[in-house]
Order: sequence, then C-alpha cells, then structure tokens
Amino acid sequence: MPRVWDSGRMKDFTDTALETCRREGATYADVRIVTVRGEDITVKDGNIDVLSLTTVRGFGIRAIADGGWGFAGSHEISKKEIQDTAKLAVRIANASGSTRSKPVTLADNEPVEDEYHTRIKKDPFSVPVEEKLRILTEVDKRLGGVGDAIKVRRADYRGHKEEKVFASTEGAYISQTITWCGGGFSCVAVGPGVPPQSRSFPGSFGGDFSSKGYEHFEGLNLLENVQDVAGEAIALTQAPACPSDKMTLLLDGHQLMLQIHESCGHPTELDRALGTEAAYAGTSFMTPDLLNELRYGSEDVTLTADSTIEGGLGTYGYDDEGVKARRVELVKDGLFVGYQSSRETAALVGLDSSSAGMRADSPQKIPLIRMANINLEPSGWKRNEIIEDTKKGILMSTNKSWSIDDKRINFQFGTEIAWEIVNGQLGQMYRNPTYTGITPQFWGGLDASSGDDWRVWGAPNCGKGQPSQVMYVGHGCGTARFRDVRVGIMTEGAM
Amino acid sequence: MNLKKDYLLEKADIALKEADVQGASQTEVSISLERMALTRLANSIIDQNVSENHASVRVLLYFGKKKGSVSVDTLDDEPIREAVASASKIARVSTEDTDFKSLPEPRPFSSALDSEDLVCRETAEATPEARAEYAMLAIQRAHEADKRISAVAGAISNQLEESVILNSLGVEGHQACTSANVNLTILAKDGSEETAGWAEDNRRDFRYLQVEDVAKVAARKAADGFGAKLLKPGEYEAVLEAPAAVTLALYMAYIGFSARSYQDYRSFLRDRIGEKIFSDKVNVWDDALDTRFVTPRLFDNEGYPKKKMTLIEDGVVKNLMYDSYTAGKDNVESTGHNTKLSGMSIPFSNHMIMEEGKSDVNELVAQTKNGILITHFHYTNPVDPTKGVLTGLTRDGTWLVENGEIKHPVGTLRYTDAIPRFLGELDLIGRYPELKSGSHIFPSLKLPSFRITGSAKG
Repeated sequence: MPRVWDSGRMKDFTDTALETCRREGATYADVRIVTVRGEDITVKDGNIDVLSLTTVRGFGIRAIADGGWGFAGSHEISKKEIQDTAKLAVRIANASGSTRSKPVTLADNEPVEDEYHTRIKKDPFSVPVEEKLRILTEVDKRLGGVGDAIKVRRADYRGHKEEKVFASTEGAYISQTITWCGGGFSCVAVGPGVPPQSRSFPGSFGGDFSSKGYEHFEGLNLLENVQDVAGEAIALTQAPACPSDKMTLLLDGHQLMLQIHESCGHPTELDRALGTEAAYAGTSFMTPDLLNELRYGSEDVTLTADSTIEGGLGTYGYDDEGVKARRVELVKDGLFVGYQSSRETAALVGLDSSSAGMRADSPQKIPLIRMANINLEPSGWKRNEIIEDTKKGILMSTNKSWSIDDKRINFQFGTEIAWEIVNGQLGQMYRNPTYTGITPQFWGGLDASSGDDWRVWGAPNCGKGQPSQVMYVGHGCGTARFRDVRVGIMTEGAM
Repeated sequence: MNLKKDYLLEKADIALKEADVQGASQTEVSISLERMALTRLANSIIDQNVSENHASVRVLLYFGKKKGSVSVDTLDDEPIREAVASASKIARVSTEDTDFKSLPEPRPFSSALDSEDLVCRETAEATPEARAEYAMLAIQRAHEADKRISAVAGAISNQLEESVILNSLGVEGHQACTSANVNLTILAKDGSEETAGWAEDNRRDFRYLQVEDVAKVAARKAADGFGAKLLKPGEYEAVLEAPAAVTLALYMAYIGFSARSYQDYRSFLRDRIGEKIFSDKVNVWDDALDTRFVTPRLFDNEGYPKKKMTLIEDGVVKNLMYDSYTAGKDNVESTGHNTKLSGMSIPFSNHMIMEEGKSDVNELVAQTKNGILITHFHYTNPVDPTKGVLTGLTRDGTWLVENGEIKHPVGTLRYTDAIPRFLGELDLIGRYPELKSGSHIFPSLKLPSFRITGSAKG
C-alpha cells in the first residue's frame, strides 16, 4: 500500500475533497487527514496489564451547503472514498439546511499555509518500550515493597502523537504534529476493618501529561516519590473521616485543575452558552447577556484560555478550523469577560474572530469547542505563604471524584487526602474528603493563589458531544485558598 | 442485508497466520466495522449532522505469559501483518504476566440469536433526509405541545455494527446488529424562568423510533416544570423513572459486580457475595441474549459465549461478572463479560435486567407521601466505590410529591447516597417503560428513602 503520509499525496487528497465539495454546491468546506498514534502501558501488581499500540487513521470533511453544516468521515484514505465522502458531507449539509431560517456564518479568519510541531527533545515514540517498562516495573516493585497493606498498585505511561493536515476552500493548508506523553502511579492500601484508601502521584486517573517529549515522563521522578505517597495511602487507612463543616479550603494542583476545568472551562464554552450542547452535556449559567456584567469570582480571579503556552496539553499551532492559537481572557479580576469559541459561535455574538478553540479527538469526529489550556493566573502568593497565613482550614489534594450540574453551578468533588491546617501548620490527615459549592459563590471566596508551584497540568479525558469525543486539555494553576466552603458531605454513620 | 462475515473472517485469519509465523503461543484477533450517522438538534434546528465509517483490527499476541497488543484501522493485508509483527515485537520485550492462564477455548454459542435477525436494512441505510424528517417532526410536535417551548435539542442516530473474533485455540464468532436512537431535551421559557424536559427511545428498526412520543413526553415535562421551588436537603421518598434507574444499574455493574473492581478493592460487594444487601423485592440478572435489548450479544469481547446469569435473587447477591483473566485469578469460570476499553480489559455489562412489577409510574406516585419524582440523572459519579456511594444531579423534570399527588416542580437537586442503603428497601417496583432504553432494562422504582444533599442554590 502506498504510504499515505506523503506531502504530495496529502495535497492531492485534500484538493480532491475540497473540489468535490465545491462541485456539489458547498459554499465552504474543510478537510482534515489525520493519523493518531497511541501507546499505553500499565504495570499492575507485578504484571503487565496493558501493553498496547494503536493507530487511527482517517479523514473528516465539513461542508456548508444550503446554509447548513454537514460532516462525513471515513477510515479509508483513497481518492474514491474521499470523493464519495465529500459528496455525502454536502448531501448531509443540504439536509441540515432545510431546518434553518438563517444560514451558518463564520467569523473571518486569514487562511494560511503553515506547519507546526510540538517542541520536544526526545520523541516518546522513539524511546524503546523496554525503557518505559523498566521504569514502570521498578515503580511497581518499590510500591510492593512499601508494606503488606499495599494490596493494589499500578504504574502508567501514555504517549500520543497526532499528525494532521487541514485544508479549506478558503485556501488554508496547515500541517501539524502534536505530541504529548506522561504517566504516574497509584496504590490502594487496605487495613483490617477500615475502608481501602488510594493515593496517586503526580495525579490520579493515570497521572500527569504534557505536550513535551519523553523528557516530561522522565522528569516526573516517579521512583523518588513512591515511599512517601504509598506511606500516605497506608496512613489514610488509620485516619479519621473528613469532618462536616463550613471552613477555609485550600486546593492544590491536581484537584484545583479539575475545579477550574469543571466550573470555568466548561461554562465558558460558547456553544454551551448558546444552547447547542443542551442535549447531553448541558448549557451554561454564563450566558452572553452576562458578558462584562457577571461577577464570576473575587478580584484575585483571572482565568485565561491559552493555546500557546509551552507544554500544555491544549497547546497547538492552529485549531481544527485553521485559526491560529492564541490567549483569550475569560475572567479578568473576577469579571466575566470572554468565551472560548468557534468561527460560527464567534460570528453569532459579534466577535471579530474565534478563540481558536475548535478540536476533534480523531479524524472522523466533528470539531467542537474544546478547552485549550484554561489557566488560573497566580495572585502574588507562594504556596507555603498561603498555608502559613491560614489560621484554620483544610488542604485537599488529588482528585478522586467529581460531579457538576448541567448549567455548571452546583458541584461536588472528592479528593484522596486532606490535612487540617491550624495556625499555619499542616496537621491531622483526613480520609475521604469531599466539598461542594455553587460556582460564583465559590470563586468569590478565593483570596489567594500561588505562583511558585504553578504548572500546567494535563487532563487527557474531557468528554463532550454527540457522538461523544474525548479531548486532551490543560490547566495551569498552583495552590489556591477559598473561604467558607462546605466540606465533608459524606457522613460516616449515614452511609 | 449484505454482511461481511466471510470477508472479516478472512482478514482475521491473515492476522492469525502471521502470528503463527511470528511464533506466538496464543493469539486473539478481533475486527469490527461500524457505520454511524447522527443528526443533532439545538435551538430547534439541525445544528450538527455527521456520518462516520470505522474499521478496527485488534491483535493480541502471547508468547508464553508475555503479551503485546496493536490496533489499526485498516483492512488491507500488509498493515494487518505489520500490526501483528509489531505486537510480536512488544510482547517479546514485555515481562511475564503471572496471572495469565489462557485465552478462552471454543465453546458453543447460543442458538437463540441470529445476526440476520438483529440487522435491519432500514436502520443501516437510513438517509440524512430521513433523519431530517424525524428532526422536523420532533421540532414540530414539541412546539405544538405548548407555546412556551423555546428550543428543541437532541439527536437522531442510526448505526450498524459488525464484528468477528478469532483466536488460536479455535474460537470463531461473528455478530452484527443495528440500532437507532432518538433523544430530545426540550427547553421552555416563560418570562425569566426556564425549564427543560427529556425523553429518549431506542429501537433496532429506525422506522419504529417513537419520535413523536419522545417529543410529546419531553415537551410535557418542560411545560410542567414552571414554578420550580427549592427543596431543602434531607431524606425523601423517591420515584425514579426507568431512565434514572438505568443510571444506577450502570454503576451497580461498574463498582459492584465487575470482578476487576472487586479484585482491586473498589467494589461495594467486596466480601459480601451471598449476603442479602438489597430489598427482597430486587431480582436482577444479566442476559445479553435477551432480544428485548436493542443490541443483544452472542459473545463477549474475547469470544466467550453469553448466557443468562443471576446477579441478585430476592435481594441476595449471587455472582460477580468475570472475564477469562479475572476468572483465572479467582479460579472460577469466565461468565462472558470481557469488555475492551482503551486497551484495558475489564468485566462489565450493558445487559442487566431487573424484574418488573405491576405498577405504572402514576401508581408509584400515588403511594408517595413526601417524595420526589425524578426523570433522570446527570453527571453521576462514585464518591466512595467501596461503599457504593454515588453523587449526581436530577435533571429535565423533577417534582415534589405529597400525599400521592404532584405538588410542584423543584429545581436541580444533588443526591449523595449509597446503593446498598437506598436499594436496601424498596416500596414498589414499576413496569418497564414503553420508550426503550439503549442499555439495561430496569423498571421505575419507588424508594422509601433517598438522600438529597444540595441544590442549584447550595
């Protein structure tokens, strides 16, 4: 079979797609041809649980005809299949157009010919599997050596490389290679007569990820953290349950990033705010009439969507509409000021351009507004200063569970571990910590966020859309403090 | 309907033969095709409209107890052979899995299912124009139902799936089915107040999708949602309509009955098999062969035959769900529940059935003194899987019931409660709904106690 990924053939294929769409009556069309490679390795309880390479290859064509959108994709990359699929995309667009009174309009975008490649030092796909296995196996072995109470242990690695070409009837032709990798470990400790407790490092659900090369995985220093983290899991089995109270809450990196994701990232997606995600994911309380009016949080809260920041999982050169990556303010000094958008939604609310927020998780999925890197800008503190400044509170770390309503107002989170803070000192450890809140009240209670431990965390599993897609996104944050938060939702006796 | 059984088996055989050349001791090859199209509605228009055409070839090779797996999405011979070679290479450098015993040996499949009967041409070939007609019908019926209806959102989809599995021990299986779905979230507005209602239906035959009924039910729920009041946290009786009960079924499977969760100390059934945990009214079994499911299955993802299995009998937990790997660890037989998710294999099910009762939802409501009627749940997640504690929110139609009558709608409510607690007693079990679920078959339920821990106001 001739090699698909040849720039001459790519151009031929994209020209075929676009020309066919034009001929069929499309007023706009774009095409992505994508190859996604994945590498997943998990060592669990001394055995290899997952050792898997995946390759997904295909293309997707979007078209506007009769004022409506159509999209069709296929795994088979050949000229005939592209022609047939392009015709189908336009046919589907015509069917959509029949229900519209106003045609789809797109915000302007300067079409470019360009290329972008994630800046990496070591290509994770060139590092032998044996090397990755060596690290994971050693982590697993050390976890097992911490104590008999450690009953379940796992060490994970994941790599992702996406090569794609985007072309449009406006004249854009962009090729990109997006690379990211990462991993982590977790363990479950069981003690007699007490519920099992888990701890993870550097984060739960597989660890932490970055759009860097293999150097990111090496830099996680997994082995150096095994003893302390597994020790915490064991200590948790003896720890009391998180008290139920209203108190000052500190969240550090891995939990804070998910808080940002759920309560700021999603409600500022303009498609949600305009009602186009009402089925399934929901809408948003941050509606366009509240732009520049709604006080989202305290004056210490500034949140941005930034697809340019180095190392972010949501960092790229251009989105899947060919719009150049950029930084957009969503909340500035507590005031709601911006959205993540697409060319269509930007036009609907009168913006000059989109936020470069459109991505699809694979060639055959339609691009949707997805978070890039949603970052909480630090407010001048250091992490230890926040702790030392706290008379009485609780620090929660590492996400364990999450849930938020369809308008992104009421949320509830659980973390793996918490520590009481008394007079600026970390003290009693608590198990099964949980907290709940109402988004603007919660962010209105933020009075400090740190910069010295600020980093961009990677969340590779954000779900959205019908049919559903899973996107990799990033969140930059340090540690933050929130006042008057209801903690300890589960009460031991009641359950 | 022209299925591709022989073609797919031929491709799988290419992979098996190459694995033999590579020297693998055991090999599993699974190939699946999926054609899917979905017309998505928002703001009472077709907003997104897509068609996908997928192929997936997954090869899993063992060299003794070392394994490697590669997936590609082409059916060309050379890339399939290259995938096998690549799996062989990574398997050879892996370490031994001491818990691995063997891939499944061939066992006869049930004769109760025939793929030809599960595939409906009209579903497989449903056109963009046919989906658009359904979309227009849904929009029209919804807006006709009440003048306050402001927006129709949702999706209409049709799908054909076909798969084969071969392994080097002689397992050979083919299955195919079609499915169609309509789900609608209908919004209504009156002044500054907004409400929503939801319903869905699933069929094997696209022509029989109950689009009008779904539109009418969802629109009525939206129209009946005005005047929503707050409800304080506390314990309330609850009437769960069938879709809400199906959400609980999903989590019962995931953090309860899956042997993987059990072995990983993440199951609330740990050390409780044989114990009476649930109300004695609760009888649940797993039966993927039951043709009442829209997508029944003949075998699991490693070619082990499906068969009926009791999970809960008169409230007593009877069995866990196993695949061959987890079964090997516990020295039991697989129960045919292997499910492959992102490279990982876990035992799981989408085919649980709870025995229905004789009452309809109105009768369950009539028996409620102080409770809540719930349409379905949103964003449910485990808080503490070891105790079966879930949290989630109500959505798209929730009402306060007092003395057997619906009093008024209530806003979004958060629940945080433990499965063994709120299913530990049951007042009444309803009948299966007319509109069909796409997964588990559960009836409506009346719970004597359900914990509400918050709302959209706090």
